[in-house]
Amino acid sequence: MEITFAEMPLALFSTLAPMGAGAFVILAIAFLTAKLDGDALKKIDRFTVIPVAFVVVGFIAAFFHLANPFAAFGSLANVGSSPLSNEVAVGCAFTLLMLAYWIWALTGKMSEGVRKGFATVVAVVGIVFAFFTGMAYMIDTIPSWNTMAGPVQLVGFALLGGAALGVLVLSLAGCGDALKAGSLKTGTLVVLAVGLVLGIGAFAVQATTASSIENALYNGADLVTSVMMIIVCGIICLVGTGVCDVFAVRGAGAGVMVGVSVGAAVLAIVGILLMRLAFYAMQVSVGLSIL
Amino acid sequence: MIDTNLSRRTFLKTSGALGALAAAGGGIAAADSLFGSGVGEAIAAGEDKTTWGHCAINCPGRCALKMHVTDDEIAWVDTHTSADATFDTPQARACLRGRTYRRWANGPDRISYPMKRVEGTKRGEGKYERISWDEAIDTAASKLKEVIDKYGNEAVYVPYATGVSATTARPFNRFLNLVGGYLNFYNSYSTAQISCITPYMYGSKGNGGSSLSSGEDAKLILCFGSSPTETRQGGLTTHYDWVHMREKTPAKIYMIEPRFNDSNFGHSEEWLPINPGTDAALVAALGHELIENGQTDEEFLHNYCVGYDEDTMPEAYKGKNMSYKDYIMGTGYDKVEKTPEWAAPITGISADRIRELADEIATTKPVYVVQGWGPQRRSNGEWTSWAIMALPCLLGQVGLPGTSNGTREARNSPTLTSLPAGKNPVETSIPCFLFTDAIDHGTEMTAKNAGVRKADKLKTNIKYMINYAGNCLTNQHSDINKAHEILADDSKCEFILGVDTVMCDSMNYSDIVLPDLFRFEQHSQIATGSDWGYIITGTPATSPKFERKTAYEMASLMADKFGVKDEFTGGKTEEEWIRELYDQSREKDDKLPPFEEMQEMGVYTREYPHIVSMKKYRDDPVANALTTPSGKIEIFSEKLLKDTEGWELQDGDTLKGMDTLPPVPVYIPEWEGVETTTKEHPLVLSGFHYRGRIHSSWGHLDELKEVNPQEAWINPADAEPRGIKNGDKVQVHNDRGKIELLAKVTPRVVPGTVAVSQGAWWDGDTKTGKDGVDKGGSINTLTTQRPSPLSKGNPQHTNICDVKKA
Amino acid sequence: MTQYAFHFDGTRCTGCKTCEMSCKDYKDTDLGIAYRKVYEVTLGDTKKADDGTFTTTCVSYPLSMACNHCDNPACTKVCPTGAMHKDGETGIVSVDADKCIGCGYCHMACPYNAPKVDREKGHSVKCDGCAERVAKGEKPVCVEACPARALDFGTVDEMKKTGEQANIAPLPDKSYTDPNFYIKPSEDAKPAGDAAAKVVNPLEVM
Repeated sequence: MEITFAEMPLALFSTLAPMGAGAFVILAIAFLTAKLDGDALKKIDRFTVIPVAFVVVGFIAAFFHLANPFAAFGSLANVGSSPLSNEVAVGCAFTLLMLAYWIWALTGKMSEGVRKGFATVVAVVGIVFAFFTGMAYMIDTIPSWNTMAGPVQLVGFALLGGAALGVLVLSLAGCGDALKAGSLKTGTLVVLAVGLVLGIGAFAVQATTASSIENALYNGADLVTSVMMIIVCGIICLVGTGVCDVFAVRGAGAGVMVGVSVGAAVLAIVGILLMRLAFYAMQVSVGLSIL
Repeated sequence: MIDTNLSRRTFLKTSGALGALAAAGGGIAAADSLFGSGVGEAIAAGEDKTTWGHCAINCPGRCALKMHVTDDEIAWVDTHTSADATFDTPQARACLRGRTYRRWANGPDRISYPMKRVEGTKRGEGKYERISWDEAIDTAASKLKEVIDKYGNEAVYVPYATGVSATTARPFNRFLNLVGGYLNFYNSYSTAQISCITPYMYGSKGNGGSSLSSGEDAKLILCFGSSPTETRQGGLTTHYDWVHMREKTPAKIYMIEPRFNDSNFGHSEEWLPINPGTDAALVAALGHELIENGQTDEEFLHNYCVGYDEDTMPEAYKGKNMSYKDYIMGTGYDKVEKTPEWAAPITGISADRIRELADEIATTKPVYVVQGWGPQRRSNGEWTSWAIMALPCLLGQVGLPGTSNGTREARNSPTLTSLPAGKNPVETSIPCFLFTDAIDHGTEMTAKNAGVRKADKLKTNIKYMINYAGNCLTNQHSDINKAHEILADDSKCEFILGVDTVMCDSMNYSDIVLPDLFRFEQHSQIATGSDWGYIITGTPATSPKFERKTAYEMASLMADKFGVKDEFTGGKTEEEWIRELYDQSREKDDKLPPFEEMQEMGVYTREYPHIVSMKKYRDDPVANALTTPSGKIEIFSEKLLKDTEGWELQDGDTLKGMDTLPPVPVYIPEWEGVETTTKEHPLVLSGFHYRGRIHSSWGHLDELKEVNPQEAWINPADAEPRGIKNGDKVQVHNDRGKIELLAKVTPRVVPGTVAVSQGAWWDGDTKTGKDGVDKGGSINTLTTQRPSPLSKGNPQHTNICDVKKA
Repeated sequence: MTQYAFHFDGTRCTGCKTCEMSCKDYKDTDLGIAYRKVYEVTLGDTKKADDGTFTTTCVSYPLSMACNHCDNPACTKVCPTGAMHKDGETGIVSVDADKCIGCGYCHMACPYNAPKVDREKGHSVKCDGCAERVAKGEKPVCVEACPARALDFGTVDEMKKTGEQANIAPLPDKSYTDPNFYIKPSEDAKPAGDAAAKVVNPLEVM
């Protein structure tokens, strides 16, 4: 258990920031496919503070993980060779883009075309960021992490958790009806489904990999067993996220729309966080790295 | 190089610990000022000086400490070393413990001021308040006068203690001898049984073993119950000698032990697992095979030994089937033939293996037989150690190159004269292990029931003790809970003066505590050695901090109160004594350099040739007769029977059916051993020395505890049925108490035996009754105060227990 | 460049931890931080048969190890700031405390358990081969401390003469980082990568 919670700040970061990034996927789809009036857009922009806050809080959590947060900008020094530098670089690029987009949007002076394009770029870079967050753990001396299943599951969690956040933003902005119709509905369901499959599927692949590895200190199978309850709870939460959001886009009345969306988002946070904690506990080095 | 932050951190840690202490102290306002950190606020980056000092704690290593001192504070502890040293370079390198002295000396637990037990608290509660030196010495001296006046000097006692060794380490004995003396003790907690039995067999002089270096000339080495690298750690003591010898010798080595100890590391082929306390049974069975196959050295046994067989029995015992051979072949004593089949279930070594080993020792020469002090620290320890010594005699492997006489290996050392203790007007002496009996019911102790010497009985109970650098009142004594009951009652022993650097458990029974200086904080000198000999001449690393004083000054202050200060000091300071004593030593040993040179070099080393035990006797047994009654090696001891005539024996002290102690090295099942486990306590419990401590010294240092956790070693075969996994917290318990520690589930200990390292600091809420749990894991919470039958020594490895998950 | 290396003589080491404690004193590291650690590997069984006799297949050996100042260090590769760096002159790998952000990636990546984040100091800490001592012609404090003379330090060419490169369990295959660690193994030592050779004293090497 101690091992499981040791990496809480990192788990929070890799839960919240990719979720915030993923929310822009739903927003981009909404802007691309739904007819939204100026008032709705204004409200959406206002509630976009939620994914923005997720990204910012995520980064703050990451700062707390550092022993010397004040020197954090130095972490860009090894872009190219250090996967962590790469992650930070992409993360910074994404965050700057996202903030630029959001501030511009808040001014109300963003044309429809620019909005569509910019939001799409933010969404794509957001997913790339989630991918790089996963890539940061691809260290060749830690075979239980050194697999594409890591970045893929983070993309999955970003899509699933992001969808939940996106749906929340739209329902808070009173765009429930738009969500329940046409391509936005289809798109949202597709993002949810892809996220769920990639997230849980890639995690399963990773856990299987970890189970097959042992070193002189740890047996991967034992580590996976020790966090099995956490994984099961995580998966239940993630499936719950999907169920809530499917309900939200397929028939929830206006009265419960917001509630269901909030529920989905909370389940997503809890579910992804649990999966991330389990991920950190599945560290099996080729040698003697102590968890 | 020295991080200035670190001293700040040390300081902070100190404050933190003080805070905790103040909180735990329960209303002792003075707690903050009782202890202090010797670390100044900031250690400057530059180094001011280095000084030499020596470790003074009860290990013959007493290694060199090269203190790097900055602004009158120890910055770090180096040792006698150099970059160009080879494997053969003699360097008295300090062990892991020596390297932590800064943390001990500057740590938050260090005693800094004289203290008295808070009025209204009981001994053992550990509540103290700061007092002045005047008050401390006044009280200690006036109580001493009172006790001497009321009960006589025999009521005064200086308990066995091992915290300080140096040429000037016994000032309190000198002082007491000037004021009428004190009750003596004999024995030690280290070697009671073997030191008692060896003179019966080999005489009291020239009975030592060969040096380990002589193992280089052997072809086969049998090492019984010894872990040379754990018991005597350091770079020029047995630790180094063992590693050095092992690399040089062509001999095959057997380590006969219940535990695959750290000296075996990397050399598993050496381990021959045996049940604890059964070595004498193994030797008997080996002897049986040697006799059966005509492989005993009859010429040696007949010319050099007494009592091996009927031919060499003393006149008075002829025709009584009382020889060792009679014991072995089943024609005497218990009338059981000591076949390998007999020994196998007792020792845990199969009959086939015993036969193989017998053949190997009979056909390989030279054989070097050596034992540690583990086999003897048992209820049957006198006979166990005796049997191991008998083995090389059966083989005739004594007194020749590459052999030893079966005792512990010899050590070399230049000879230094110690501060003369004077003559003790009190002659009466007790076995040191029985001091709690002497407090509780000393007047019932006699020569026949408790080994009282130079008197038939004690005239008085012990009423006053000076416990200098000792933790043998409780922690290193036995049955801590029982010891507590006796010591806590201050109507029994009326006054205890404690002197130490930290409040070990025994210090908590002091009425007055005096703050000691380490030997590296004062002038000090010591001679020691192993294969090499060496002398370390130390100067103070720092000035005395707070109100700490040397023991010499303390004893002088006491002497002053009795008007014998001048007699005590002889008009000399301790430094002057050291110098004068050294000059006296130089007169007898002209190779020793002048004192100034010794101070300058710090460490003086001397090479010695390989010692071959009893070579002179082997060369000419008539001219060099032993100091035994027969002048020969006594495998049968008439003297033992005479010395113990009329002794009151308890059940299990001797062989079944005998009414005397056995005069030959028989196997006696332990009172609490592999043959006497019970349903309630089905496991045997045996102690061992741990690398992180010497006895209890260093037992409080977190830095050492972190990487040397207190563990109960338990075989998977015993752990699994109890649901115990490696690293689990477990309780080891028996009728005397309960200890809590971590389980080390390991094939490195034989099934049926649990091994717990001795010396961990007792740590619990209560010592009343056996329900209290000692969370420090001190094995002596579980050991008995019943002494071994002949030496009246501590049988601390003789215990049974059970283990459960905590 | 002169690459330095450690040498470990497994036939001499008795697992006493003097190396570790001398380093802790010299470097004044806190609880929880040790630059050199001693691993115990124990395998096999000691069993008691029905007739009460023992058989044992137990083997056990210690391994004392600090940083191996690898040719291809895992720690410098993942370090995002460049704080973890390999000295061009000596090949010693050390931390630039001013640059380090204490992210812990070096700790995760190193297969030899060498770097660790000291949260109080705010950066990674590890063995730096006592670079200042070596510059003065001394050896690292651990090497000169060893009572059994089981450790050595010198140029990689010297250390190679009596040892093989990091070839015993519990060490990983040397190919990951090309460690500058040469070993004379004891009879008991198992080859690197032997899955049965477990570290049995995890609490002592945290």
